[in-house]
Amino acid sequence: MAASMRLLFRRVIRLSHRNINVTAAGVSRGSGCCWGPSTCRCFSDAAGDSSTHFGFETVPETEKAKRVYKVFENVAQKYDVMNDAMSLGIHRVWKDMLLHVMHPQPGVQLLDVAGGTGDIAFRFLEYVRSQQERQKRRASRSMQTPSWQDISNNYSTEDVVESQESRAVVCDINKEMLKVGKQKADSLGVSAGLSWVVGDAEELPFDDDQFDIYTIAFGIRNVTHIDQALQEALRVLKPGGRFMCLEFSKVTNPVLARLYDAYSFQMIPVLGEVIAGDWKSYQYLVESIRKFPDQEEFKGMIEDAGFYCVQYYNLTGGVVALHSGFKL
Amino acid sequence: MFRNVLGRLVTEIVHVHRYANKAHLIQRVTPAFVSVRSFTDVKDEAQQPFDASLLEFLVCPLSKKPLRYDADTNELINEDLGIAYPIIDGIPNMIPQEARLIQKDTDSSTTPTQG
Repeated sequence: MAASMRLLFRRVIRLSHRNINVTAAGVSRGSGCCWGPSTCRCFSDAAGDSSTHFGFETVPETEKAKRVYKVFENVAQKYDVMNDAMSLGIHRVWKDMLLHVMHPQPGVQLLDVAGGTGDIAFRFLEYVRSQQERQKRRASRSMQTPSWQDISNNYSTEDVVESQESRAVVCDINKEMLKVGKQKADSLGVSAGLSWVVGDAEELPFDDDQFDIYTIAFGIRNVTHIDQALQEALRVLKPGGRFMCLEFSKVTNPVLARLYDAYSFQMIPVLGEVIAGDWKSYQYLVESIRKFPDQEEFKGMIEDAGFYCVQYYNLTGGVVALHSGFKL
Repeated sequence: MFRNVLGRLVTEIVHVHRYANKAHLIQRVTPAFVSVRSFTDVKDEAQQPFDASLLEFLVCPLSKKPLRYDADTNELINEDLGIAYPIIDGIPNMIPQEARLIQKDTDSSTTPTQG
């Protein structure tokens, strides 16, 4: 056991060295290109073949989507188990907070992008159903002694209420994640008002002004062009619709930040290897969290896309930020 | 006293295990019956209701035009661009790269990539 732990430690050190080397190489390559004699060629190359980050690595943009797809294809089966292990179950609290802030009323249409295994969609349907029951209970309590007039009115309005069914559409670019989600739904017996679609967040297969709420939970940092995804969100939302985004963000407290970094880089890939048998995917996860803009910067990006009343809530000391904006 | 309790626990666990094994077998047997009887029903059900409700707001991601559901090939077809999006396991695949070109003479498997 000690030998395997030693091996794991060596792997950690080797991988962290590799990360430092890669970033150094990336920087030197970039600066060399700018100052070289063939600047014209350099510019045209940069324009046609721009690169982005994949964790701490620099990859061409066309590559990123493919690599992200592979990451999630590999982890799909163990995704929920890993979430519980890595966040010690706190991810459930984060998602419940999202629903509480959202406070959806019955009859509302939700689009959950990068919804994968459907956590948000399930919670949404449950919340709306409990809201409906609360409303019914409240209505029946206030109508303990109805007059004949009230009873006859009740009969006519019952059908109207039923037609406003709330619906949740789960959209994800990865088929494997959706398959896992659909299996979960079937085993839970939840299928009314739930739809599954394979789609790209940068090019949603939905018409304009369709949804009341657009959520993207822990998915937007994997999108290659975040501004395009934000613009698509604006497009498919109805006027008055709400955009909500849960994402890992910058920890404000320096002590907590140190602990969080240590935990991220040393525990999480190890957990990934032990539980899901995939070190690299979880290395990508913690690196992509570091590359994502912080709360204020992301708030600026959402405002640039055209959302109003943008605000964010820090959860767990800034480990996760819940951003919300409205289409007005 | 504890030995009694332990003894009882062990026998209970053994009973539960045996029951669990039997239940496992029973579960394996019944799906076979269910699937034989209603194989086609289940297959149709998995695809028909999903599409009817989805078609209301599903459009082609490239042209944003509504789609037509084709029950024979189980695809969503965009007439203007001549492409078909496959439906796998009841989940429509709306990625432009995965769509199929519908040519009048032949149908190739390559697709129009977005610009």
